[in-house]
Amino acid sequence: MREISIVGAGMTKFAKMPERDVIDLGREACIKAIKSSGVPRKDIQIAYCGTARTGQLLNRECGVGQTILLDIGISGIPVTSVGNFCASGSSALREAYLAIASGMYDVALAIGVEKLSVRKGKGLPLTSDGVTLLTALGFSPPAYFAEIATRHMYEFGTTEKQMALVTVKNRGHSRYNPNCQYQTSVTVEEVLASRPIVDPLRMLNCCPTTDGAGAILLCAKDLAWKYTDKPVDIIASSLHFGLYEKNKDMTTFNSDRASGKEAYEMAGLGPKDIDVAEVHDCFSIAEILHYEDLGFCPRGEGGPFVEQGKADIGGEVAINPSGGLLSRGHPLGGTGLAQTTEIFWQLRGEADKRQVPGARVGMTHTMGGFQDSIELADVASSCIHIYRQGW
Amino acid sequence: MNQATFDKERIDPVLADMFIPPSSHDNETHLVASKCNKCGVYFFPKRHICPNCFEEGTLEDKYLSNEASIYTYCVVRAAPVGFDSPYILGYVDLPEGIRIFTMIETDNMDDLKIGARVRLIAGKIRRDENGEDVMGYKFSVMKER
Ligand SMILES: [Zn+2]
Repeated sequence: MREISIVGAGMTKFAKMPERDVIDLGREACIKAIKSSGVPRKDIQIAYCGTARTGQLLNRECGVGQTILLDIGISGIPVTSVGNFCASGSSALREAYLAIASGMYDVALAIGVEKLSVRKGKGLPLTSDGVTLLTALGFSPPAYFAEIATRHMYEFGTTEKQMALVTVKNRGHSRYNPNCQYQTSVTVEEVLASRPIVDPLRMLNCCPTTDGAGAILLCAKDLAWKYTDKPVDIIASSLHFGLYEKNKDMTTFNSDRASGKEAYEMAGLGPKDIDVAEVHDCFSIAEILHYEDLGFCPRGEGGPFVEQGKADIGGEVAINPSGGLLSRGHPLGGTGLAQTTEIFWQLRGEADKRQVPGARVGMTHTMGGFQDSIELADVASSCIHIYRQGW
Repeated sequence: MNQATFDKERIDPVLADMFIPPSSHDNETHLVASKCNKCGVYFFPKRHICPNCFEEGTLEDKYLSNEASIYTYCVVRAAPVGFDSPYILGYVDLPEGIRIFTMIETDNMDDLKIGARVRLIAGKIRRDENGEDVMGYKFSVMKER
């Protein structure tokens, strides 16, 4: 398989932007990615666009990527929409990666975008896509993660303070990231006093509704030198649909364990080799599970891991130096490529005051989505990429 | 809920095939599952084909047990439209080897614990757009004796 490099990346600021539409957001991310890459538009041979909710919210199921590209003078190339729950943007990157790895194309563009702030039900949790049965019984994503939290607390003694510390860490990072919806630090006390959403989760344990887009330009590694002297290589790409089972242990995600294992094997690396990771902290308890599922700490020790500062910049592995979903917000399809953009900047030493010193190897992890099942648990998508300085 | 006066007309159509509400000749509520007569595994709700055996005609309808124990739970404070907060959701373990997502109710929040025994009942799940009760099944925490 051919080696792949990222040569350009860009994202919009993530915020609720009532005046901007999904095409406008995608266009800005693409222009930034293309201009940062030095790739002439005529060299782009194929594109993928990840979205998760444009059909339900904007009456546009197909054609988001095509419309964005037409706006910036690109037409006549293969363009495919990628829908894969919260991992839609990351899955678009993976498709672009596979297209080049196959040898069929040399230069590809991946886009991830979502305009979520138009949804109804301000102040209420986002409902999941197509889960009629679960919704009839009162389900929502925060409820699912709250059930996970209750069990994790019961089995391992994880505390509300430890969950709050995930938010405190990520919001602390957000002070130095102008692309985040929230850019202010919070204290443990503020998290624990914030509005109850689903016990044991409070408002500041949950990521906010947001609009935003990211875009990534990638090419065969042997061509990267034409465009940049600091390419960032993608050295692993893995994706799993949930590994659903009965009597599921809800303190771990099977799909994340499978994606992590495959990615480490593909990269020939282990958790200790990762310097910086952007992981899917949709809820603070989720990040605690990710420490464990991605191998950064043993089972059940995710709470102490954050409490002891091991997930800080300067700790064992810098987790979510961007501020994560808890600060940036989570516009479904927009999230994955904002994560990749952050890692691209981190590995090139371009992350300003939130730079992880000496970061050479990075990871992105995006997961989510639900199947409409009463008796089977997991998330519907888990996508992991590992990156390394390519120079 | 007075099980004898259960109004079948108000059952959520989405849940209608999943349970049998109490009636004049059976005061119990029943969850209806599929059991595969080849591999012995139960599935809830009912399935069209056993995903293990992948053969036609191995599934038969079976009632599940009416008692279970709580695997995990949460208390919803920010409720979706139509649901009255706070309400409890969770996963409960049934003797047939199934862990299911369900609404849970209790008279006393101190009784709400992992491992607590719960019993199947029919009852109100939410309200419709006219404010009328929409009925379904849920589990109620049993009093410790
Ligand atoms: Zn079978």
